[in-house]
Amino acid sequence: MYELLLAGIENLLHLKYFVPLAIGTFIGVVGGALPGITNTMTVIMVLPFTFGLEPLQGLSAMIGVYIGGESGGLITSCLLGIPGKPSSVATMFDGYPMSRKGEPGRALWLGIWASFFGGLLGGIFLVGTTGPLASLALAFGPWEYFSLFIFALSMVAGLTGASIAKGLLSGAIGLVITIIGNDPVMGQPRLTLGIGWLEGGIPFLPVLIGVFAFAQIMGDVEKMGRSSSDPAAELVIPKLVVSHAKVIWEILSRPVMLLWTSFVGVLIGVLPAIGGSAANVMAYDQAKKFSRHPERFGTGTPEGIIASEAANNSNVGGSLVTIMAFGIPGDAVTAVMLGALTIHGIQPGPLFISQEPKLAYGIFAAYLLGHFIMIAIMLVGVRWFLRIVLVPKSILFPVILVLCVVGAFALNNTMANVYVLVLCGLLGYGMVKGGLPLAPLILGVILGDQIEINLVRSLMTDDNLWLFFTRPISGLLLFLSVASVVFALWQHSRAQKKGAVPEEDGADF
Amino acid sequence: MKLTRDGWTGLACLVASLVLFGFTIGLRDNPLVPIGPGFYPRIVLGISAFLAGWVLVQSLLLPAPAGKGGENYRLVAGVFAIFFAYVGAMPFLGFRIATLLFMAALQSTLEPPRGTKGWVIVAVTAILTTVICYYLFEGYLLVLLPRGRWTDF
Repeated sequence: MYELLLAGIENLLHLKYFVPLAIGTFIGVVGGALPGITNTMTVIMVLPFTFGLEPLQGLSAMIGVYIGGESGGLITSCLLGIPGKPSSVATMFDGYPMSRKGEPGRALWLGIWASFFGGLLGGIFLVGTTGPLASLALAFGPWEYFSLFIFALSMVAGLTGASIAKGLLSGAIGLVITIIGNDPVMGQPRLTLGIGWLEGGIPFLPVLIGVFAFAQIMGDVEKMGRSSSDPAAELVIPKLVVSHAKVIWEILSRPVMLLWTSFVGVLIGVLPAIGGSAANVMAYDQAKKFSRHPERFGTGTPEGIIASEAANNSNVGGSLVTIMAFGIPGDAVTAVMLGALTIHGIQPGPLFISQEPKLAYGIFAAYLLGHFIMIAIMLVGVRWFLRIVLVPKSILFPVILVLCVVGAFALNNTMANVYVLVLCGLLGYGMVKGGLPLAPLILGVILGDQIEINLVRSLMTDDNLWLFFTRPISGLLLFLSVASVVFALWQHSRAQKKGAVPEEDGADF
Repeated sequence: MKLTRDGWTGLACLVASLVLFGFTIGLRDNPLVPIGPGFYPRIVLGISAFLAGWVLVQSLLLPAPAGKGGENYRLVAGVFAIFFAYVGAMPFLGFRIATLLFMAALQSTLEPPRGTKGWVIVAVTAILTTVICYYLFEGYLLVLLPRGRWTDF
């Protein structure tokens, strides 16, 4: 395994792969620093540029975006008190107060180095567990796959949003999208309403791009012309000089907290659709609970910054595990990666590591190297990234929409995908306005075909429905599916009794 | 009884699910295959109808969530309209002309340009985005962008 990893790192050091990784990381940091632009948006913008590249080049760029984005968000969080993205909200709780106390460099670099160490710990988990988990998944038959996908969907529906019913409904809408088109067995058109280009089905990338791009952009457009605060007007670049050795020691002198919060991040990353923002806040909460001085949290304590940033970067490692071992995306960014892989004819899942070892270990290597590149980029340009808030959204949004159109069109050089993008843009915005979470929808769209194929395959092998429950792994997964829904219902009713209903669509999809 | 936002969402999804379920009834089974093409869609649409009903009932039983208010829906409608026009015009005008017009129109809508400098920024951004996208994708990434039926450009 380690020989393959070393070979992967050596391979990645070739300019052919290193340049896309470095550019992706740079773009990720820039996108991360831009308030309101999530990692998903940044990776969607990068997606069309990867079509003409080799799979490993394209994936390196996307992994770079992911790592850079998770770290870039902390710049504006710490220095301006504006989270660059949802997964750096908790970083702001202590990063900004520390900056206000006259230590902006310390706040910023504590976050950057914590991201680095947290990311590397996530990398160790990624390299160490993907293979064994994939081997476990090799024992799966269609019954187990069906149950696994149902489990993923039920968990996402249960864990996102304020209402379990709306989460499940959103997932069901995703499944409905996948039944449009020819049926997988006999190729008979279903629900196409006589529209020719729907016969091939709806590919999930235009759905994902449309749903997320419009939900996010229109959400910001709604607020345009309303906000009175202009970050540009108050922008003062602070002095960020700091002793790196001192900052690194500050982090490494808290090994238990670093390990625990990184583990929290990884664990949340492994769960589908529960991404960086949940990791960031939960790790912060954990650090506060275990601290000897919880009262200091929120006033500029280093533990708050270290915990939240270590977790959101280690989370990336966890998200990559699920996609590489099971073919289930851990969040929207890995969902886009899944799309990029399928465009190149590669199917992630249990056989991925054994069939595509060069690519798999290349991904591991890109993930590990990306953190070193991120540090180098931050060392050189952190002062300048702060100026990114000056880019007006009136320029940014049209450019993003053009790239979305190009991305959808370039999937197979047809306007049909652009029309899907438009329809899904309306759907995504409508769902947000209707209070439906987007995460289950996307997972439903991604897993829908596989759920149907595995259901049909299992029933054609043996029409005994009890096999889904009596086969041990399948039965366990279905039990966990029911348990996750029951748990979510219980949690929701408890929150209602306390009068605290969780916010809608808190997931990272 | 007045429907809340969630109520309308549930009702819309319920109607859509039932209508689509109706379409699956016309799907004919094949004697060679034990599971027909309508088998799985009926399960999915049945579940989605049930869940939509659940959301609808829940909305009637629970208090309506408070809206934030103050959203600029006129601007949202404008952005959607410009985007629809862009996508609709692309097969006729081609990527380059449609993108140039789209960039200029959307920038001007989102933030109306002030003075000559503002218009210059709009024009330069529109031209640069179009030119960079075109040469990058066509020249380097080998993505053949749409040509216009009317313009052949």
